[in-house]
Amino acid sequence: MSTPDTHAGHHDEGSYLSGPPGTISRIWQWASTIDHKKIGVMYLFAVLFMFFLGGMSAMAVRYELLDPIRTQTTEFLNASGEIEIVTVTTGESLKELLGAMGIGDSLTGSQIYNRAFTLHGAIMVFMFIIPAIPAALGNFFLPIMLGAKDVAFPRLNLMSWYIYLFGCTFGVLSILLGGVDTGWTFYTPYSTTTDADHWRVVLMVMAAFILGFSSILTGLNFVVTVHKLRAPGMGWFDMPLMIWALYATSIIQVLATPVIGITLLLLVFERLFHIGIFDPSLGGDPVLYQHFFWFYSHPVVYVMILPGMGIISEILAVHSRKHIFGYRAIAFSSLGIAGVSFLVWGHHIFTAMGELAAILFSGLTFLVAIPTAIKMFNWIATLYKSSIVINTPMMYALMFLFTFSIGGLTGLPLATLATDLHLHDSYYVVAHFHYVMMGGTVIAFMGGVHHWWPKMFGKMYNEKAGMLGAAIVFVGFNLTFFTQFFLGTQGMPRRYANYVDEFQTLHVLSSIGAVLLLVGFLIHAAVFFFSLKWGEKAPANPWGGLTLEWECESPPIEHNFHKEPILKHGPYDFETVVPPHCDPKDYPLPENPGKH
Amino acid sequence: MMQTLASAQPDILQKMIFGETPAPSEAAAWSDGLFLMITWFSIFCFVILMALMVFFVIKYRRRPGVPAQPSPHHNLHIEILWTVIPSASMLVMFVYGFWGYSYKIVSPDNALEMRIQGSKWSWIATYPNGSSSPETQPLSKMIVATDTSTSVTQGKEYPIFYVPENTDIRLRMMSTDVIHSFWIPEFRTKMDVVPNRYTGFGFRTPKLTANDTVIYHDAETKKNTTIAGRDMWVFCAEYCGDDHSRMAATLRIVSQEVYDQKMADWSVQLSPIDAGKKIWTQICKSCHETDGTRLVGPTWNSVKNSDGQFGFGYDAELADGSSVMRDANYYRESILDPNAKVVKGFAPAMSSYQGQLSDEDIDNIISYIQSLSDRNPNAGEDAGSSETESDTEAAGSDS
Repeated sequence: MSTPDTHAGHHDEGSYLSGPPGTISRIWQWASTIDHKKIGVMYLFAVLFMFFLGGMSAMAVRYELLDPIRTQTTEFLNASGEIEIVTVTTGESLKELLGAMGIGDSLTGSQIYNRAFTLHGAIMVFMFIIPAIPAALGNFFLPIMLGAKDVAFPRLNLMSWYIYLFGCTFGVLSILLGGVDTGWTFYTPYSTTTDADHWRVVLMVMAAFILGFSSILTGLNFVVTVHKLRAPGMGWFDMPLMIWALYATSIIQVLATPVIGITLLLLVFERLFHIGIFDPSLGGDPVLYQHFFWFYSHPVVYVMILPGMGIISEILAVHSRKHIFGYRAIAFSSLGIAGVSFLVWGHHIFTAMGELAAILFSGLTFLVAIPTAIKMFNWIATLYKSSIVINTPMMYALMFLFTFSIGGLTGLPLATLATDLHLHDSYYVVAHFHYVMMGGTVIAFMGGVHHWWPKMFGKMYNEKAGMLGAAIVFVGFNLTFFTQFFLGTQGMPRRYANYVDEFQTLHVLSSIGAVLLLVGFLIHAAVFFFSLKWGEKAPANPWGGLTLEWECESPPIEHNFHKEPILKHGPYDFETVVPPHCDPKDYPLPENPGKH
Repeated sequence: MMQTLASAQPDILQKMIFGETPAPSEAAAWSDGLFLMITWFSIFCFVILMALMVFFVIKYRRRPGVPAQPSPHHNLHIEILWTVIPSASMLVMFVYGFWGYSYKIVSPDNALEMRIQGSKWSWIATYPNGSSSPETQPLSKMIVATDTSTSVTQGKEYPIFYVPENTDIRLRMMSTDVIHSFWIPEFRTKMDVVPNRYTGFGFRTPKLTANDTVIYHDAETKKNTTIAGRDMWVFCAEYCGDDHSRMAATLRIVSQEVYDQKMADWSVQLSPIDAGKKIWTQICKSCHETDGTRLVGPTWNSVKNSDGQFGFGYDAELADGSSVMRDANYYRESILDPNAKVVKGFAPAMSSYQGQLSDEDIDNIISYIQSLSDRNPNAGEDAGSSETESDTEAAGSDS
């Protein structure tokens, strides 16, 4: 640290957030930036906006499901002795809501519901959860954690950001023109035959196709950065686990995303030119589409969850000041999950495939559970003999261990063939993947945003308000989705606007939970807003972290480090190293450090 | 016979998960038992993990000036242990799951084979003698006819499929348009119904007990009687479009005598109009009403309303602005190539029934459509035929 500075020119540099005066030149500075931090921040606000849109369509879905849609016909004899028929439709909540706003008259209640859940799925998957952690937090922190000035290909990075925006434009255009009703999975032959004005479906499919390229380019950039730009002294096993997770994620993105690109293109050709690959009336095979689709979309489940696991490893280590238990086991299990994830796509199609294939895929699916279980045990073991502080990031990390365990364990009956035949395509599946995707990825993402917020913006947030928001999200989340396990086992199919009466109580409870979730996230939005506006200045290392991002200033300067950092300690050596920028009095070290 | 893992007297957990009534077949009970076994295993793991987490968070909470105590960074023995134990448990689940799967999929050679046809948005079951069920009932069990002058029903009626008690049933299923999925929640089994490919599964119906009664609605006398039987829901579980959530049916388990009687009744030769009406109930009704109501497709009645005048013998205004006479050839073309001439204001949402309906079926449907119009060329000839009272009323109601 005290070695003479040979890299002149970086001392007097300001924060990356400071820019030239004048609104237009600032906007141009951001729009043309090749700084990974600015691109990461732009991604962060874009995905948060998409999370808001997707969340609103989820609220629409829960609003409709408060009440089943019922058409009731009454026949009676009127005064003059003739039979009179009165037909009343009740429970079309969304139709009434839209009617009050003066739109959507030509659609029935079910049609509006089908558009709402498709929007929810498509926005959340393609525009929020896939880019959320890698593109926003990953872009910002992957180069800094490696001790690099930027990613390997900064211009390519800017290009993936614009491709992301371009793809989102297609998606939003499709919504503004009236939305699509295919579900986010675009199953054929429904998606190739539905809807006269097929341009909307084509637009939405093209949106997913274009977004895929953004994902591929980001992944490629990260792989090269990890290989080539590690700080001097940083070997593979000196990397933070967040980097291992992002590395495994990037490999999946680079290998799997081209497959969905080809599949979606075939789908567009099928719609526009009737080439007959998927549509049986043209000689195609509809189940082939599902194989193609899930060959990408199952590995992509791990694109969503692996970076979340990386965040959890960081948060747990820093806020409990403990070396991660079984570092290599966690690092290798990330790679193991990435590898096995390519072999299990068939479990999405158990009810449409041959018996032998179903049995093979069931066995392979259990394999993927084992590295996940190992990570879980390692995280819990990390807490042993640690020094735990409860704040918002740590609350989210502990919530992750709770909800993600439920998400993982409820996957077991789905991998088991006999029970899957009952649970497949029911609300049980809906609950299961929300526990994994939301209880896993979104919870980890929220934890990560709080953990790194002071570093990204140089401002502290209100800890008590953050913890209140986290607690409400936790209660709301479990109320919303735990009820849905019971709906599923009792026979409620997914994607139903209408349902039999006995399911109503559980649906109402679930909708109440959704309102709580909304309240929790609104509190977080307010906390972030207040922090940006009035937050107190953040110190360089508020939590006492040992990874390289805590060595630079908060917010980092434009080139991240005043001089090229040289790695002197591992990412989790809390027993032997006083964290940078920290007072040794606040960070006492044990007298007899443990053996490695 | 394999040992059933679920208890015949369901405990509280089992009731919370699967509802009040125990599983109706051994295969279903076996699968419930497996689910409960996995659930108990999961609860056990979850409680241990969470108890440890909470204990550590309390015991090792941060105290100012006190460092975290050193502990090993890894431990090979414990890591091998927590890899091997989950792997072994999952091997057990896999084997049991495979067992239960074959239990559900395979049925004995002498099973009664029903053919199931799925199409947007209705189910048809065809029995070995070629007949199919014309009976329907509404979605909600709470609303039934109160007396003869006032009756309340749901807008959409769902077909009732009769099956005999204590019998092995095998389903052979195919779709006419998009992918559907035939789910009988009480038998804990579903299978996708795919176009251009047969799929299927089997189940054994339970013996009826004294408590199993259903309300039987006689369509002709409009009277309700209670008979021995048990109703189960059938849902479509694969998303298939607008009315996916209304693609349901009732599976009604009845005694062998009632089943045999139904088979004998339904195989009676119907007049063309009645045969056409039956096909309408089973297939066309989800999109075409006959009382003037606008659904996804135009009504077949000749009642004049805000959309214009429909029905046989009237001109149809098409999307491209031209018009065409609704005659027998128009209807035939609309069934076999629905998008060739689409009526203005309606989406081309119908898929072709080429190969699904025989020429005779199409003739019968057209006869039925004719009978609904006040411009029915056969009206005079029909008067003396076996046509029922109600049909004549419907045909002449607008004049």
